[in-house]
Amino acid sequence: MLHGILTLLLFQFVGECISKLFMLKIPGAIIGMVLLLLFLMIRKGSFHALDNAVFWLLRYLPLFIIPAAAGIITQFETISNELFAILASLIVGTFLALAFSVKLMDVLISRKEGK
Amino acid sequence: MNVDALIAYVMNTPLSWIIITLSAYKIGIIIYEKTGKNALLQPIVIAYVIMLPILLLAKIPYKQYFDSVFILHFFLGPATVALALPLYKNLKLIQSYFLPILITLVFGGIFTILSAVGILWLFDASKITMLSMTTKSVTAPITLITAHDIGANAALAIGFVVITGLLGALLGTFVFKLLKIKHDAAKGFALGLISHAVGTARAFEISENAAAFSALAMGLVGVFIAVVLPIVIGFL
Repeated sequence: MLHGILTLLLFQFVGECISKLFMLKIPGAIIGMVLLLLFLMIRKGSFHALDNAVFWLLRYLPLFIIPAAAGIITQFETISNELFAILASLIVGTFLALAFSVKLMDVLISRKEGK
Repeated sequence: MNVDALIAYVMNTPLSWIIITLSAYKIGIIIYEKTGKNALLQPIVIAYVIMLPILLLAKIPYKQYFDSVFILHFFLGPATVALALPLYKNLKLIQSYFLPILITLVFGGIFTILSAVGILWLFDASKITMLSMTTKSVTAPITLITAHDIGANAALAIGFVVITGLLGALLGTFVFKLLKIKHDAAKGFALGLISHAVGTARAFEISENAAAFSALAMGLVGVFIAVVLPIVIGFL
């Protein structure tokens, strides 16, 4: 478990350092994630120590979001001023995006399998 | 007995807010499990409903609350890195449908942002709302670490992410029937692409295969948007 957590923190740290050093606009944790992905692809075998830490972190992921999510209490004014636009964007936008994406992929798969 | 000292302690120790936050989430998990893991009753939604009135009634400044529970926030970084593992495990799926996945990822990802921001623009919404809407289909930890870089409001962005997740899960079945979608892979991929983890929870109700494609889409679109968005917005 500790081994896994340490691995994740090290990859995050290296990612953050790379982001700072090269003044990248990409968040450091994302660079860390991509580096870990490449590491796993090169290493191929299983990595049990990582499994436990990842399971624990991802299981409680929504909990880690609450501190930032609670900041909504400072945003009631923006929300009430633009309520209609926000609702329209969320509801109509999500409907359209879902319909567009699923149809696109469905047609592409049908074509591929039809060949 | 020193009641004043007790009250001052309770009001000021981070312990109180950590206990309240963990309890709210625990109640969320209990309700989620008691209702047969209904994708719409996500623990975080229930935690939200419990936490917000408490924060408002306590009249605690948001910064004080955030500092008190910062220890939870800290884990977002390693949790984002941890997303590499499920992505790695589902990566072999890419080989089976490489082009459909790549095309849907890029066009679906861009369409999601443009449609949502476009509607806001039509209604003359503010710039901060539009920026906060750009990450609405990205999984929450990636949204949070990206929000800062693109000048969005993290709390608004997270609110949009949670609602988009719920809407996608809610509309999914209806949209799939309406458009006569045949492939589970497409259903799963679209759910993960638009509605991140909530969509993936819904995809599990369709099939294992749909869920795997959903998890794959969630990881890919998170990386895609986190990499492309700050660069695009940097040019605007």
